[in-house]
Amino acid sequence: MRRPPGRGITDLVERLLTVAEVYAPVERDQSVVFDRIESAREAAIDRGPAALSPKNLVFPRCEMLLSSSTRGDESGRAPDPGPGGPRVLFGVRPCDARAIALLDRILGGGEKTDSYYIRRRESLVVISIGCTESLETCFCETTGGGPRSTEGSDILLEDLGDRCEASIITEKGVWLAGQIGLEHDPAGARTPRGPAPPAGPAADLAELKKRLDRSFEDQCWRDIALKCIGCGVCTFLCPACHCFDVIDEETAGVRVRSRIWDSCQFPAFTEQASGYNPRPSAAERFRQRVMHKFSYCIERYGMPGCVGCGRCVSRCPVNLDIRTVTASFLGDGGEP
Amino acid sequence: MRNPFVPIPMTVERNRVETVDGGIRTLTLSFPADADRGAFDFVPGQFAELSILGVGEAPFGIASSPAEGGLLDFTISRVGRVTTALHHLEPGESVGLRGPLGNGYPMSELEGGDLLLAGGGFGFSTLRALARFVLKQSNRSRFGDITVVFGARSPGLLLYRDDLEEWGERRDVRLAVTVDRGDGSWTGLTGTVPDALRRLDIDAGRTTALVCGPPAMIRHTIPVLAGLGVAPERTHVSLEMKMKCGIGKCGRCSIGGRYVCTDGPVFRLADLENLPGEFR
Amino acid sequence: MEASAIVRTVRERAAELLASGRVDLVIGFEQGSMPMRAAPCFVSDADGTDRLVWNSFCGVNLARFLRGRHGRIAVVAKACDTRALVELIKENQLCRTDMVVIGVPCAGMVDSAAVEEITGHAGITGVEEADGRLLLTAGGSPVSLPREDVLCRSCRRCSTRNPVICDIAVGERAPEPEIPGFLDVDQFAALPSEERRTRIEAEMKRCIRCNACRNVCPMCYCVRCFADDAFPQWVGRGGDPGSVMSFHLVRALHLAGRCVECGACERACPTGVDLGILNRRMSADVYRHFGYRPGMAPEIPSPLSTFSPGDPEDFMLEPDRGRSCGCGG
Repeated sequence: MRRPPGRGITDLVERLLTVAEVYAPVERDQSVVFDRIESAREAAIDRGPAALSPKNLVFPRCEMLLSSSTRGDESGRAPDPGPGGPRVLFGVRPCDARAIALLDRILGGGEKTDSYYIRRRESLVVISIGCTESLETCFCETTGGGPRSTEGSDILLEDLGDRCEASIITEKGVWLAGQIGLEHDPAGARTPRGPAPPAGPAADLAELKKRLDRSFEDQCWRDIALKCIGCGVCTFLCPACHCFDVIDEETAGVRVRSRIWDSCQFPAFTEQASGYNPRPSAAERFRQRVMHKFSYCIERYGMPGCVGCGRCVSRCPVNLDIRTVTASFLGDGGEP
Repeated sequence: MRNPFVPIPMTVERNRVETVDGGIRTLTLSFPADADRGAFDFVPGQFAELSILGVGEAPFGIASSPAEGGLLDFTISRVGRVTTALHHLEPGESVGLRGPLGNGYPMSELEGGDLLLAGGGFGFSTLRALARFVLKQSNRSRFGDITVVFGARSPGLLLYRDDLEEWGERRDVRLAVTVDRGDGSWTGLTGTVPDALRRLDIDAGRTTALVCGPPAMIRHTIPVLAGLGVAPERTHVSLEMKMKCGIGKCGRCSIGGRYVCTDGPVFRLADLENLPGEFR
Repeated sequence: MEASAIVRTVRERAAELLASGRVDLVIGFEQGSMPMRAAPCFVSDADGTDRLVWNSFCGVNLARFLRGRHGRIAVVAKACDTRALVELIKENQLCRTDMVVIGVPCAGMVDSAAVEEITGHAGITGVEEADGRLLLTAGGSPVSLPREDVLCRSCRRCSTRNPVICDIAVGERAPEPEIPGFLDVDQFAALPSEERRTRIEAEMKRCIRCNACRNVCPMCYCVRCFADDAFPQWVGRGGDPGSVMSFHLVRALHLAGRCVECGACERACPTGVDLGILNRRMSADVYRHFGYRPGMAPEIPSPLSTFSPGDPEDFMLEPDRGRSCGCGG
């Protein structure tokens, strides 16, 4: 049963609020989302995983890239980044932090880095709390993470009730810990009190990738996707999904270019202006989602595009469970 | 750190109709700023994002050769909101440009050998850039025999008539122009690009093939090239997969673990054959 | 009839239909990947009918899955599924003779999110149903909840509990509660306009434009949705609240006189947007002006999509006559 956070956690949040903007899970309209808090009381650490992942903080659902109110000015201006003080993302689960590590490699890495992402990300310090219990939908270990994974976290906390133990992981973490007098526990969160919750068996990701790669043309995708309704719930709730579209709008003489979350599950994602679509049905589109996460991301970024947070599992309107799909490829040692 | 989403401003120099139905036009753009012109270093086969703020942005192959004094051609088929707005641009007006993007044709591999350029529809644009580059007098001696095959659905949809006329008269290039369906006045080849390729006599061992066109054309051209004996290692295909950001972030042009916008758009056929068949 | 008997009968009938060749496909529900989930399933041979289940979590409207499929199809349908089928037949999207309706009585579907909320997100590892109660294993302990307490919002106000069209009836008719018409709509309409606007805006603010509401809706079948058109672009795709509002308002208008109030959209919404706030108002207006309740009577034509040269309502030809109709149109 879920329990409220210990005093150690709430004390820490109070101290954080004195040095930085703090974003934490909060309850809004009966669901938990990440938002800015002004007091520790607002944080809903004990309310289960946030309905929406914190990716909105580094990769907003809609972000202005350029704007101009001058005719003929085709370069436009990027929005003013603002004061850029430190922001703390507090109380994320290790799976969500790990998704940020993936976004760092995709949006923050590469030959051309994404300056909008970098600007938001540089000012952000990520403090995660090791999980002490798992839900029906959790499968972090299947994706190579775990309830105390440190990837993507600057500080990982272990909630011990009246106090909390900190693993300070990065330079940013050291800096923030210095600001609030948080000490690194040498044993730290790596030696949790009590057993780590089960979060699914560790899958053989390499084997899964191999089997997916040779199943691209398999008819099974048609059967798997039969019930898929092609909505964007899985991709929009996913903390690691990062595909976007770039759109232009003009309102009252102000011309704006923005990027918005997009979904590989939408037909328009790949439909060309001519009407040709290389992924014409749900089968190809669902296959793309699975392949992108468990083959292409591993190949390109060295980690899967899925961290096992379980949001897509819990919210898919038709219960198209990605765990079942990947398991079907790993099952009985043969072809799916 | 340069913001990769900010376009450089360009000026429209010319906007001319290519096809009889007016559906395809070629824009010629110049750089108002010398610094931008100096920094714009590209090879044939690369593309750029053209944009009108408030309307939209779309990728287009660069249709002119790098050796054309700071002028860039883009051939644009009118199919949607952005392309319609681009068609309406008048000389002197501004347009945004991000680029050059993508890898381009493998120029160093092309030197010294024979070239076979095969393109269909407005996918021919980057092959036109390549042809103009290799056929330039000062470059011509670096390449062996050059064959250009260009196909369109009908005579009215043929592009780059001035170039076709010039190449047709030259003795150092073999040109085959074909249309799917002729009309009363058409005296040239009829049939598809693969049909025209089948009739060719080439020295496959010396030839590198460069292919660009719609997916159906590519699908039917690849086996014909194999039949002619051109090795998959020496066949390069430029893909048209829908792109958006052009810098390997937005995820929509993924084919397997590759992005068309940064790993392509030009792929060696031998490599493509190891990727999922979404380009076919 | 006990739930298990319903399941058994559904399986038997489905197997007979497939074995005899009367249908090529049965669309029903199977056990989902975890407790409190049932998933649409597609069975095309008699041996596979053992997968079929029926329980309190069969909330998806299966009428959505019939369009665009070839052959004869049997569908395991609750009342609101059949209401959608009726409308789809009227709109010539489905052919009555190509379908076999296996009708199942419905006592309302359970909102799994509500169960999770009540049980403190303790982790539900088991669920059974008996005598109008859910017997759950929550956080390792048994918990018993009355179904009535955790019904989906749309099911609480639904008085249609039996299939409207049916070829094979399974189970006994469910009692149909007397529920006063559109109490929720009237209560909302009685609020000051500013408060109504604030409420609606608060709902729209949660929308993340994932299209789940539209894609799960049996009546949203446009080949190209206005919201997906890029040229011309009818509605913005960015974060502008006006664009979000436009999407939902236009969708509500497209559904006026067609929405069967199955609530599938609300159940699919990942952020819990109360779409009924718009759609129910449309339903109330259509009922009050035309006496029409979508999906309830196969023989009555749809008021907003039926045209006749002899239409006594000639307000469309004479604009002045229409002003007093009060429909706001």
